[in-house]
Amino acid sequence: MRNTWFFIRKESLESLRSYHLLIIAIVFIIFGIEGPLMAKLTPDILKMASSSSFTIKMPDPTSIDAWQQYYKNMTQIGIFVLVVIFSGTVSGEVSRGTLVNLVTKGLSRYSIIIAKYFVAYMQWCFAILITFLINWAYTAYYFPDNKTPNVWSGMSLLIIFGLMFVAVTIFGSTLSNSNYMGFLTAVVVFIILTLLNLFKEFKHYNPIALVTDNMSLIKGTKQIDTIMPAIWITIVSSIVIIYLAILILNKKRL
Amino acid sequence: MNNTDIFMNNLPLFIPLILLEVILDVAALVHIFRHKNYRVGNRLLWVLLTLLFNPIGAILYFIIGRETY
Repeated sequence: MRNTWFFIRKESLESLRSYHLLIIAIVFIIFGIEGPLMAKLTPDILKMASSSSFTIKMPDPTSIDAWQQYYKNMTQIGIFVLVVIFSGTVSGEVSRGTLVNLVTKGLSRYSIIIAKYFVAYMQWCFAILITFLINWAYTAYYFPDNKTPNVWSGMSLLIIFGLMFVAVTIFGSTLSNSNYMGFLTAVVVFIILTLLNLFKEFKHYNPIALVTDNMSLIKGTKQIDTIMPAIWITIVSSIVIIYLAILILNKKRL
Repeated sequence: MNNTDIFMNNLPLFIPLILLEVILDVAALVHIFRHKNYRVGNRLLWVLLTLLFNPIGAILYFIIGRETY
C-alpha cells in the first residue's frame, strides 16, 4: 500500500514534468470554450456564406447545440487525445528500463499498474470535469433555457466510461514494448464495441452506450435506468482488465 | 455583419482561447530552445510547426518531439 502511494506520487510528478498535465488542461479548456462558441457562431457563419439571392434560415442556437458540440468533441477527439497521452505509460518505462531498479528494491509489480491506472484515471476525470464546468458556465450565460435539464447525468457517464477505457489503454501498454500499442488497443476495442452496437440484443449491455446516449439523457428523453446494465458491465470489465494487466506484467521481463 | 463584429461580440469566448494558445506556444518554444536534441526532427521544424499550426504543433512537440531521457 505504501509502495503504491509512493508510485502514485512519482506518476503525478512525472505527469507534471512531462508537460502532460499542461497539454490536458489547455486542450480540454479549449474544447470547453469551443462548444458554446461554435453554437453561437454557426448562424453568423451561415449568414456570411449565403448571398443575397438565397438565404439560409437558421433557428436561434440553444443550449442543446452547445452540449451537442461538447459531446461530439469529447467522444470523437477528446477521449483519444487522452489515450494517446496515456499510451506509453507502461511500455515506455519497460523499454527504457527504469522499472528494473524499483522492482529489485522491492516495489511490487501490481502496485505499478494500480498506481498508473489511478493517476491516469484522475487525469481523465480532470479533463472531463474541466471541460464540463467551462461549457456549463458559458452555456448558462449565453443560452439560459430549460432544454437541457439533466446536464450532470450525461457527463457522469463519460467519467464511468473512463474506468474501462483507461484500463484498456494500460492493458494494451503492458502487452508490448511499443509506445503505440496502448493507443491501438483502445481504438480496436472502441471499434469492436461500436460494431457490437449494431446488434439490438447487445444494446442494453454495451459500454459504448455511455458515450453515445449522452444527448438523449441530458435532454431528458431517456432515463439513466435504461443503461444501468451497461454501466455495471463497464465497471466490472474495468476491474477484470486491470487484473489481466497485472498478470501480464508479472510474467513480463522488465 | 463582418468578421470584426463577430470577434468583438464574442470577446468573452475569444480572449481565453487566444491566451491559452499563446501560453502553450510559449511553453513549447521555451522547451525547444532550451534543448538541443529531439526524438524526431530538428529545431527549425519544431519552431515552424509550433508557430504555424496552432495549437496542434505545440501539442505534437510535447508528445512526440520532446526528448525523454
